[in-house]
Formats: sequence, structure tokens, C-alpha cells
Amino acid sequence: MTHQMQNHMGDELTEAEAELVHCYRHLARTLEMYDDELSPFEARNGLKALAALWQVMNGLDMDPGQVYHLGA
Amino acid sequence: MNDTPYWNPRHETMPRDQLDALQTRKLRNLVEWTDAQVPWQSKRLRDSGVTADQIESLADLRRIPLMTRDDWMQGQLESPPYGPILAASPESAIRYHMTSGTTGKTPIRVLDSMKDWEWIAEMWCYGLWGFGVRPQDVLFVAFGYATFIGFWGLHYAGEKMGCLVLPGGAMATDARVKTLVEMGATVVASTPTYALRMAQEAKALGIDLVDGPVKRLILSGEPAGSIPATKKLIEEMWGAKAADTAGMTELGTIMVFECAEQPGGTHIIEDHYIEEVLDPESGEPVGYDELGERVVTSFGRGFIPVLRYRTRDLVIRVPGTTCPCGRTFDIYDGGIRGRVDDMKLVRGTNVYPRAVEAIVREHAEIDEFQIHLYTAEGIRDEIEVRVEIPDPKVDAARMLADIEKELADSHEGLRFEVTQAEAGSLPRFELKAKRLLDERTVIGTEGERRAQA
Repeated sequence: MTHQMQNHMGDELTEAEAELVHCYRHLARTLEMYDDELSPFEARNGLKALAALWQVMNGLDMDPGQVYHLGA
Repeated sequence: MNDTPYWNPRHETMPRDQLDALQTRKLRNLVEWTDAQVPWQSKRLRDSGVTADQIESLADLRRIPLMTRDDWMQGQLESPPYGPILAASPESAIRYHMTSGTTGKTPIRVLDSMKDWEWIAEMWCYGLWGFGVRPQDVLFVAFGYATFIGFWGLHYAGEKMGCLVLPGGAMATDARVKTLVEMGATVVASTPTYALRMAQEAKALGIDLVDGPVKRLILSGEPAGSIPATKKLIEEMWGAKAADTAGMTELGTIMVFECAEQPGGTHIIEDHYIEEVLDPESGEPVGYDELGERVVTSFGRGFIPVLRYRTRDLVIRVPGTTCPCGRTFDIYDGGIRGRVDDMKLVRGTNVYPRAVEAIVREHAEIDEFQIHLYTAEGIRDEIEVRVEIPDPKVDAARMLADIEKELADSHEGLRFEVTQAEAGSLPRFELKAKRLLDERTVIGTEGERRAQA
């Protein structure tokens, strides 16, 4: 399934790249939905990881938008 | 991890038509974000009839109004401390920085978030990786680590890449030199001027840098990193390859870097910026191989959207294909060639400090120099170049005469007075060097008389 992922340039992503995209999306969703439940070390380290994975999304032309509302 | 010369192979080798499409899409996203989040920018865009849905090609960029430093400063004065430029709440920021203030003006103040700082480091990664820096390197950063943004982003890029980073802040020059040698630094980051200063200090300490561990120098902060004579001198004194980079506080990071092929210029990071080159007078675009002013649009820093910012930097753009590295990113031949306002008119002849430096640095025996403009007999522009020649064995008189002739030959016969300054008497610089001292009471360029002290 991950082989079919395309970016905004119409390029197909590799399986490894698609896994990183999934990782980012899952993390962003987790931070957005469960922010109130996360302890400081979970929330802040999660944001730090999100900020780094955002660069991968951006570099893969997946147009991640902005994440200031999440705190990153 | 792949062994590749590119930090982002997909983008750095992207064909030009795809790069145009990528930039157009990112421009549309940037305009949409700016329009929604920054009322001050939104008004400027809408007054010019620009909305995101109208951005269909890069040609639409020209419809966006130009922004100047004065615009930015005026906004800061009216809405201190940051001005009406923020696209997110200051509570989302994790860092504050400001311009170095070398222009003597009020500094520009900027904020960035966690994600923006990752991006700032990301831009430096393009430069470090592209010049051959790898995780096994030991990176010494000869920098003051204060509110000037300088090499902060390079520091984090080094960490991101897995290098061992040695922060060289709050150290005297001799301590820096000893530390970087003792710790086996393989890469050193500094301004070009300070790279020379450290090399002079090493010589005074009896430390042989040429046979030492340093293999690469990352230069930034001054145009000298792309002045061939200065660069050659630095490379010879260190026994290392030197790469030029350039950035600005207004962007938070670098926008150009020199790759390992050292093409005599710097690649533009075109997947994160649109760089235009315009005639500084008319505002019209100039073509490849023509001197003009850089105007930058940045996709990366969402906290402070930068759209068509006039930098006052003078550049000559050439196609990326002029470099054999395989990148499609275009190049600023000779790096940043100076500032629009750097040029001095002396008795009708244009004088650029960079051009003077290019000649002075051909003489490796010169440690430091200064360009001194003054008014003679209350009416006449004079230009003096003061040089330090510390080695008493050098035939200084002959060298001064040679430099006078070389400067005159390259400036339409303009008479320069080249004098010898006492060794160690001229100012030394750690950050941006200011080697031009204009003490004219009558300003030839403006025909105005300065107020007498």
C-alpha cells in the first residue's frame, strides 16, 4: 500500500519515504488529539520529533503546512 | 544512509521545469498563509490585487509588492518590539535574535519556533553536506553565540548531521586556535576575516595549521569568502579547502552555499527560496551574467513570512550547469559581490571595497588593511589604503608602489595612496569586518558637505 503514495509533484515515494510520512501524520494526530493527556516529557519530546519530521515532509513535497497551533 | 553528495538529492538535481512548478506551488502556499495570518502583509498583497488562487506561474511573483528594510523597520517602530510581521503568536516562539547592527541602524528583531529552528539548521545542512562535511567530522564554531544569529544554525546543523560540535564562544583567539588543534577539529566555521586572524595567531603561537587536522573551512558573514585572492590566502594559511556561504537574519539562515566542486560561487537553495536579481534603480529583472540586486522570497520561515524582500546585496547569477556537481540550483558567481550602498564615488570613479580587497589580498605578506576616505584641502576626495606588513624582511616600499599601480590600473587610473600602518595597529574583527573608514567632510557621491564636528 505504501508503494502507491505520491507527493505534490506527482512523484511516487519509496516505501521507506512513505513510512516516514505515515510516522509524521500519526505523530501529528496523536499530539493534536491527546495533548491534554500527555505528560510534559511526552508532549515536548513529541513536538521536537514533529519539528524534525516536518522537514522530511517538506523535503518530500508533501506540503505539511504549519504546525504552530500544535506548539511546534 | 545513502552515500550521496546531496543533502536532498531529489530537489538538488530537479530539472528546471519541475523546480519552477515546485516554487510556484510553494509560493501559492506562502501567499495563502501570509494573507490569512499577517494583516499588515495581507493589506499589502490585496492592495496589489494579489491572492493565492491567482498564483499560477512564477511570472505572478512580480505582482507581489517589494518589501524593504525600511518597511520592516517602520513596522517595528510602530508596533514594537517585532512589528506587524508575525504570523504566529509570540508564545509559540522558542528563540529571539536580532541583526548584528553593523549598519549602525536599529536592529531587526526576529522570533522563531521549534519547527522553524529545525528548518534553519536544515538550510545549513545543505551547505555543510554539499561541501563534504560528514557525521565523522569534528566541527569547531569560532563564534560568539549571542543574539546575533550568525553560526547558531550551523551549530545545530552539525549536531543534526551527527558531527562532534565544539562551540568556540567566549574564547580569546589564541585559546580558540589551541582548542581546535588539540581537539582535532576537521572543520572550522568563521568569518573570512576571522579565519585569517586565527591563522595569524597560530603562526605567532608556532602552531602549524597546514599540517594540522583541519580539512575544511565554512566561511560566512562577509563577501570575502568568494574573493579569489582572500580565499586562496585563507586556504594556503590553513592547508584546507574553504567554502563560502551567505545568509541573513531576516531569513534566519543561509540561502546560498558553495559545493565541494568550488565553482567560484554559491548555489542558491532553490527549493526553499525564490531569488530574483533586479536592477537596483529600475526594479526590472536582469539576466544571467548581469550584476543586480538580490530580492528574496523564503518558503521556510513560517513565523515571519518573507515575500520579495530587497536585500541590497549585489550578485551575478549564472546557470547551475556551470558547475560540474550535478545540482540544478543556479549559482551566484563570485558569491555576494557587495552591497548596493557599498559603492563610493571618488573623484568620479566608482570604488567598491571588495575590489580593493581583491587586490590587497594578492599580497600575502599583508596582515590587515583599511580603506580611508578623507577630504584634502577642504575640497578634494582622497583615498588612502593603509596596510600592515609585519615581516621586516619584506621590501615594503616596493610593495606599496606595486599596490598603488594595481589599484590605479583597475580603477580607471584613479590615484590611491597606499601607506604602511604599524603592525597590529588596525582594527581586528570577529564578526563582520568594517574596513572602510569614510571621514570625508565633502561627500563626492552626494555633493554634500558634512557637518563639522
